[in-house]
Amino acid sequence: MDKKLGVYICACGGNISDYVDIEKVKEAIKDEDCVLLARTTMFACGDSNQKDMEADIKENNLSGIVVASCSPKLHLTTFRSVSERAGLNKYNYVHANIREQASWAHSDNKQGATEKAIHLVKAAIAKARFAKSLEPTRIKSQKSVAVIGAGVAGIKASIALSNMGDTVYLIEREGEIGGKLASLGKIFPGNVKGGDMVERLNAEVKNDEKITLLTNTKIKECSGNIGDFKIKLQETKSGESSPDSEKEINVGSILVATGFESYNPNVGEYGYKEIDNVITLPEFRELLKNGKEGKNLIFKNRKVSDIAFIYCVGSRQVKGENKYCSRYCCSAAMQSSLDIKEQFSDIQVYHFTKGVRTYGAQELKYAEASRSGDIFIQFPDKEEPVVYSEKGQTLVKVKDILSSKKEVEAAVDLVVLVTGMVPDSDKSVGSLLKLPRGRDNFFNEIHMKLRPVETVIDGITIAGTCQGPKGVMESVNSALSAAVKTHSFVSKGELELSPIVAYTDANTCEWCGACSEACPYNAISKNDIGGKTVAVINKTTCKGCGMCLPVCESDSIELTSFTNKEIESMIEILAN
Amino acid sequence: MTRIDPKFGMRLKRYGAFDYDACYNCGTCTSVCSLARKGEEFPREMVRYSVTGNQEEILSSLKPWLCYYCGECSTNCPRSANPGELMMSLRRWLTAQYDWTGISGLLFTSLKATIAALIAVAAGVILFAVFMNFDTEAILKYGHYFEMAAISGVFAVILLPNLIRMWYFTIIKPGFKVPIKSYIVALKELFIHMFTQKRALGCDDNQKRWFEHFILVIGYLTLLFTTVFLDWFGTSSLPVIIGGYIVSAIVFIVTTDFVAGRIKKSREISRHSRPSDWLFVIWLLLMGLTAFIVRVAIDTDILKDSFWIYMIHLTVLAQWALIIVPFGKWTHFLYRSFAIYFSKLTSK
Repeated sequence: MDKKLGVYICACGGNISDYVDIEKVKEAIKDEDCVLLARTTMFACGDSNQKDMEADIKENNLSGIVVASCSPKLHLTTFRSVSERAGLNKYNYVHANIREQASWAHSDNKQGATEKAIHLVKAAIAKARFAKSLEPTRIKSQKSVAVIGAGVAGIKASIALSNMGDTVYLIEREGEIGGKLASLGKIFPGNVKGGDMVERLNAEVKNDEKITLLTNTKIKECSGNIGDFKIKLQETKSGESSPDSEKEINVGSILVATGFESYNPNVGEYGYKEIDNVITLPEFRELLKNGKEGKNLIFKNRKVSDIAFIYCVGSRQVKGENKYCSRYCCSAAMQSSLDIKEQFSDIQVYHFTKGVRTYGAQELKYAEASRSGDIFIQFPDKEEPVVYSEKGQTLVKVKDILSSKKEVEAAVDLVVLVTGMVPDSDKSVGSLLKLPRGRDNFFNEIHMKLRPVETVIDGITIAGTCQGPKGVMESVNSALSAAVKTHSFVSKGELELSPIVAYTDANTCEWCGACSEACPYNAISKNDIGGKTVAVINKTTCKGCGMCLPVCESDSIELTSFTNKEIESMIEILAN
Repeated sequence: MTRIDPKFGMRLKRYGAFDYDACYNCGTCTSVCSLARKGEEFPREMVRYSVTGNQEEILSSLKPWLCYYCGECSTNCPRSANPGELMMSLRRWLTAQYDWTGISGLLFTSLKATIAALIAVAAGVILFAVFMNFDTEAILKYGHYFEMAAISGVFAVILLPNLIRMWYFTIIKPGFKVPIKSYIVALKELFIHMFTQKRALGCDDNQKRWFEHFILVIGYLTLLFTTVFLDWFGTSSLPVIIGGYIVSAIVFIVTTDFVAGRIKKSREISRHSRPSDWLFVIWLLLMGLTAFIVRVAIDTDILKDSFWIYMIHLTVLAQWALIIVPFGKWTHFLYRSFAIYFSKLTSK
């Protein structure tokens, strides 16, 4: 073999060298075939070592690198970059994990750990011998994006994308934009009213030439992949659909911002729909707008002087499905209480909570409500308040955690159920785009912290409350974040995709469909090649996960850089 | 079950509590209280009951009496909700609840009513003197009779029934079954605490205040005994005369320090004085001082020419015996010690 390999064994400042004798590892592998140089180092990832590696590659004209250190999750990219900087194609780099897999796992057996490390490094060397230079797949990308849902998240994302120079199709199923924002009262922290904010955004969208606003529009079909999605739209004006109202757009990326729905309590949940003065928070917001008569708040022809807010209705459920906190409702209830005080001075408000979560500066709203004489009762998670009617009076009975769970009751004229957020009940967008949902039934990001707006479908990002409960500010933040990510897919007009993908051998493949079924990304399709039906893998949608390999009976699939030859050579060494 | 009563707070505020609705139940007051025992939410639970207006729980609770107001809770409260002063207010409120006449409540919440009562008593004393034609001998004699009559009358008509009401609210109504024997065994506690305030020593940095208070209680009781039973103003026994001088001096010297503390607001306890507090310490001071001066006037033989000296003393005494003792702050002397006695009976 003509490969010239450099092998580096990392001490990880003792994390590895305390249990693995790295000098012994070096001795064991330095004479392996193709190994030109072998070194130990205190911190392979340290700047100085990275520079030494670059110099080694250049001076010795190395054609492959192996670093034996921690998990590739941590430093695979680091050392690939080192190779690149030294002018070596990064796919010639092979990583061996001798920390998580040797020193940490076998800290009770130093000799065994050292032996295992030697095997792991030798296996990596074996793989490195076969490593090839690879070039990323380049595909053309449309310089336009589709934003689905014109609520606050969708609108703000569209404006941001337009400002970055992208052509935006803003698609909204309703006739008006703004979504739920319009129904909100004062929004923290600017105290701007939802309606005013919608008006402003509406004007901004309409004056923006790069945004094409498509209201009363639904998505009918979606095909294609990152850089080249084809979306069929249908206008639903006046409920009729005709072929004329259909339209197709071609976009490089899709930003989904389909929003939430308010939880709709079941009949009888805290007396809802059974006792006539039990209403939900959105219903109460309407009442605040329309129920003022003189100095009084009037509900069903009666003056309201005591109001109970029951929190966490449809959220943090002990028995129900919705285990999550809906984040906005505590603050929304506080704001509602303050709005009550502003208009009606003699209304007493009771808050029955599961523990108030007015996080961050929203705590100020809590403090203000508390100062204004509101009564807060926290009830135990599993012993929710009971709303019942007695002698024409509506009573809320509850156990107060803060007075050793003593039972107390309040007589009120109105019970407001502080309802949380649930995903939009129209599931069509999610299923057309095949977006995965989490346990909470909201759309799932890839990683909450590391990749918070991307979905497993390349080129599709999510923003706002379709991803999970959020306040307005948080929705906007996530929308801006998703806009930046979406922009990155389309900005260059070209995309680089990882070359590590699977490919089939048309000579041996006898189409059986097993691989297509196993593929989680719909990357494998049935094709006719020279009169033969075979499986063909789409390079742009394949993620190189390898799920199709073990199910192929004729062994006709290979995965770039994890070929049978490479894997077998590694196994051979490990088994010795 | 109790109905939440947000208006209770408004009523309680008339007894002095303020801003306790800033409380967010962090429990700092309980954690810094040197008297709170493990598992007890003292004093936080009383704050909670006040916020939710749970009068039933407060009325049946002895806890407010078990606090000696070191003020640590108020100093450390992150929301300046002032739990220490709340406990103080609850003691005033409870005093008003125990009092079957309702006069305590009136006097605690209305300065005007208090002043009117003081003036009425003073007018009564003057009228009495007029009626007696300012006969020094007779007035001195009846003054002495008045002392004895006031003590027994106030005790029988006001204090005893009120103590019985306290017992009913805190032991009988909540349903505690206490055998007679326990009542007798626990009597020891009652007297120890009545005379020594032992529990107050459990408060941090409280030794000086405890000592002053202890001296004052002993001094006051001895003065009461000397004037009423040993007839200090009438006696010719030298030991009694000297003893009287000493105890009356103790009373006005210690109370002077207390008054000064309230003026300087040097400690948490003296920071939020209500009219009832001023009245109590000032009248106690006046009692000691005027008694001292009266005896000085007797010994220097000027009393007959300066009869007004005795009139002032008698007025202070009458106001003390008819207003402050039955309806004012004096009652804490009884309620505190009985609270400890009762809590001994109800603890397992």
